[in-house]
Amino acid sequence: MLGRVLFDSTWFVRDDLRPLQRRLVMMMLGLGVAFLAMLARLWVLQVLQTDRWRAAAENNRLRRIPLEAPRGTVTDTHGEIILDNRPTYQLLLFPEEMKDVSRTESFLTGIGIADEAEVRARVTRARKTSHLPSIIADNLRWPQVASIAAHQAEFGELQVHPATRRSLPAGPAVAHLVGQLGEVSPEQLAANPSLRSGQLVGRSGMERAYQDTLGGTPGALVVVVDALGKQVSSLAEEPPILGRPLQVTIDLKLQREAADAMAGQVGGVAAIDPRDGAVRVLLSQPAFDPDLFAGHLEPARWRELNDDPLKPLHNRAIQALYPPGSAIKPLWAAGALADGVRTPTDGVSCSGAVTIYGHTYRCWLKGGHGGVSLTGAIEQSCDTYFYRLAQDAGLERLAGWATLFGLGQATGIELAGESSGLVPSDAWSRRARGHPWYGGETISVGIGQGPILVTPLQLAVAYAALVNGGFRVTPHLAAAGGPAPTPLNLDAGTLATVRHGMELVVGGDRGTARRWASLPARFAGKTGTSQVVRKVEGVKWFELPWDQRHHAIFVGYAPPDAPTLVVAVVVEHGGDAGAVAAPVAARIIQKAFAPDFDTTTIKPNLPEGVDLLPPDATDGPDEPQTANLTAPAPAPPPAGGGAG
Amino acid sequence: MRRLDLWMILASVVIGACAVLAQSSTARALASPGFVNRQLLWLAVASALLLLFSFADYRILVRLAPLLWGASILVLVAMFVAAPVRAGTHSWFVLGSYTIQPSEFARVATLLAVAALSAGHREGQLDLKQIGRLCVAVGLPAVLVALQGDLGMALTYVPILLAALWLGGLPWKVWVGIVLIGLVAAGGAWTVILKPYQKERVFTFMDAERDPYGAGYQQRQSQIAVGSGGGLGRGLHGGTQSQLRFLPAQHTDFIFAVWAEETGFAGSALLVLAYVALLWRIFAVAFNARDRVGVVFAAGVGLVMAVQILVNIGMVMGLAPTTGITLPLLSYGGSSLLAAGIALGIVQSIWRLRFANV
Repeated sequence: MLGRVLFDSTWFVRDDLRPLQRRLVMMMLGLGVAFLAMLARLWVLQVLQTDRWRAAAENNRLRRIPLEAPRGTVTDTHGEIILDNRPTYQLLLFPEEMKDVSRTESFLTGIGIADEAEVRARVTRARKTSHLPSIIADNLRWPQVASIAAHQAEFGELQVHPATRRSLPAGPAVAHLVGQLGEVSPEQLAANPSLRSGQLVGRSGMERAYQDTLGGTPGALVVVVDALGKQVSSLAEEPPILGRPLQVTIDLKLQREAADAMAGQVGGVAAIDPRDGAVRVLLSQPAFDPDLFAGHLEPARWRELNDDPLKPLHNRAIQALYPPGSAIKPLWAAGALADGVRTPTDGVSCSGAVTIYGHTYRCWLKGGHGGVSLTGAIEQSCDTYFYRLAQDAGLERLAGWATLFGLGQATGIELAGESSGLVPSDAWSRRARGHPWYGGETISVGIGQGPILVTPLQLAVAYAALVNGGFRVTPHLAAAGGPAPTPLNLDAGTLATVRHGMELVVGGDRGTARRWASLPARFAGKTGTSQVVRKVEGVKWFELPWDQRHHAIFVGYAPPDAPTLVVAVVVEHGGDAGAVAAPVAARIIQKAFAPDFDTTTIKPNLPEGVDLLPPDATDGPDEPQTANLTAPAPAPPPAGGGAG
Repeated sequence: MRRLDLWMILASVVIGACAVLAQSSTARALASPGFVNRQLLWLAVASALLLLFSFADYRILVRLAPLLWGASILVLVAMFVAAPVRAGTHSWFVLGSYTIQPSEFARVATLLAVAALSAGHREGQLDLKQIGRLCVAVGLPAVLVALQGDLGMALTYVPILLAALWLGGLPWKVWVGIVLIGLVAAGGAWTVILKPYQKERVFTFMDAERDPYGAGYQQRQSQIAVGSGGGLGRGLHGGTQSQLRFLPAQHTDFIFAVWAEETGFAGSALLVLAYVALLWRIFAVAFNARDRVGVVFAAGVGLVMAVQILVNIGMVMGLAPTTGITLPLLSYGGSSLLAAGIALGIVQSIWRLRFANV
């Protein structure tokens, strides 16, 4: 029965199979074509395109991990370290290995890398360049290093990486000078392929000016990774090339002295060697902790500094603009003598006020100076003398002299962001203020008031020309030297007369800085008090609110006979130049030329209880220079004694 | 008793040897040394099954086809309840430490059923009723497998139906109709049946750069592996794409990429030629079969295998979308090897009995 079912003859009958075989052959032919095509495709991929696919395979497995190059060290003129490196630990994130982004983020937040939002922002940024590790944190603390090591198995994407970080032994004293590092910008990355995302480059100061010297060349480690991004082995290492060392003209002991002298005050100091323009001191107050910028800065800390009304990030020595006040007088004197507007013996009788163009201009000394010569006018800072001088010279001559001494233009120091200042002209007035220059304003410019603005460094350069025999120098930081000085073709007698006046400022019986004549290292110079608001009769400067007090300026040089140092000091709202700005310069000069003298005995001469900082730092001071430039000047302009 | 077809055996041995070498490489890459031994074990069992079925009478098996087919359908239905979800499908039946994929064996049963149905066909007499039966015999298990989530496997059932209809002498007008219906069905499947990840695979196939780290990743990595093999390969165990695990599913769907990377064009051409030889012998059996049943069964086995090879290698080379179709005799997996052993054994039986008069 079963056999009959299984072997029903009709089922396996041997009928004519030729039509089936014909169709079978057609099927085989079709398949044969398909297999031939497949072999051809294999030939193309494997034999003809080998190189292309090999390269793709190599690209898959090989990964370059850049190695940061330690930046070059910077030493001062005596070889003392200004800027060095210290070992630190960075945290690298390999984004492709991250299994659970939110877990990693909460771990990083937990060990105190940054707050939640900041950690998320950094991780997100790192994931954009997913094929490269990113520096997610800098300057790790020991407990953080330990926590990461303890959780290494869980978070294979995190790697603690030894690195270096900038160290500044002098701290805030060199903060502005050294400048800041910052992460390389996308534009810089595009322009320079040797830079890598997240790398630190100089953003300001010497770090920026000498980026090429200090920067070095990052190296790389070539590693083999698997599909999960795990490092399997390393193939080759290109060691990083260290940044080159740099010696600068700065004198660190003078820089420190300047910082000590300016402590608790707001302003800028620039000191240069008048013979060649070598910068010895470049200081801005208030400063900041430069270690904040030595690595990757948290945006919150940056905002805090940036929003500070006292603007600690501003490098006042080269960026802040101040009316020079009476400190301009020696320049006018030199110009007037050179152009024959005055002779050394021309005298003026000062009665305490003078009327020009129907307007009364007051000398700072209410009772007047009586008869004064040019040297006497510098010594006592007689305003009347210089009102008359300005009237006789006219704006164009004044502007010409200012330009001759380098005002109104960048000094050419290597640092970026330098302000060029302002030397007024009729054309400037029409362009910037929309009205012509008023004759009365020229009289104010005669005592360094009104729309004439300078930086501390510009003052130092201008005075250098007065005391070095009439050469305009280019201030420079590189110990290797700067551009050659430009001769200004000033007569030796002219310069000698002006210098005599400046010696009397300290050494004369009626000098405005005679208080400091007894110090061991003799010096000369000129005081300047530039007013911020109109002077009110009978009100002492320290009775005014901080932000309405005058700026105190002193430009000094030493030794008087053969100067090798010019120091320009601006103390914002310092009130009294001789009492507040001159002692700062005096301290720096004593440190330089009388090293055994205890400079801490030199103190600003302040009435009891007067502070040189705003009472509440959140009510920031007005920006006097801005006010001068933008407020429409009334005609005639404010005039009054720039007290010397 | 007449001799077995030794060329077919030889081709199978060559392919099996390639499989062992390739799996030794993936075993190293995936740190699973057990792969090689298991593959060898399955090869041995498959060879035994091949011999066993060679000496059986295929006509008895064809007579039992309705029974085997019915049982397969029952098992496939039972899978929905009995099989846990593995890799997103119900396709695997767990038995101790082994997993069995019944759809592989059901395909052999389906081949037998189709052969049995074709026994009653006569040249030029294929009618709608017969066509309907063929469609049910292939369609029912195929739909069940597709519903389990294994679309690639379901697609390998389709050549069985095509072989039966083609050999049955379906008029060309009907073929045009089938193509049209196929297009409509594909459109329907696209909107109703295909899961989003399956659609994504098709999109990715059409534009591999669409998602280089997602669905296009596999295709690109596999192409890199094949191409970087070059003429002579990177050496056994020397392929970076497989050893560093850039290749996905390298012991199953993408095993050919491992082989091609490590042995180059020389090795991959050798393997393809071994497949061609195997298929040649299978079709030779079909050509020489004593009856219609033998022709249809052997040709069905050959066409299923050929389509699998073409689609799988096409996918590995970036010419076909990633469908989840494995490479016969090479991909890791016991069920597929055993089922292949059975199918080839039956083909040998057809060869052995090609002159039988009873």
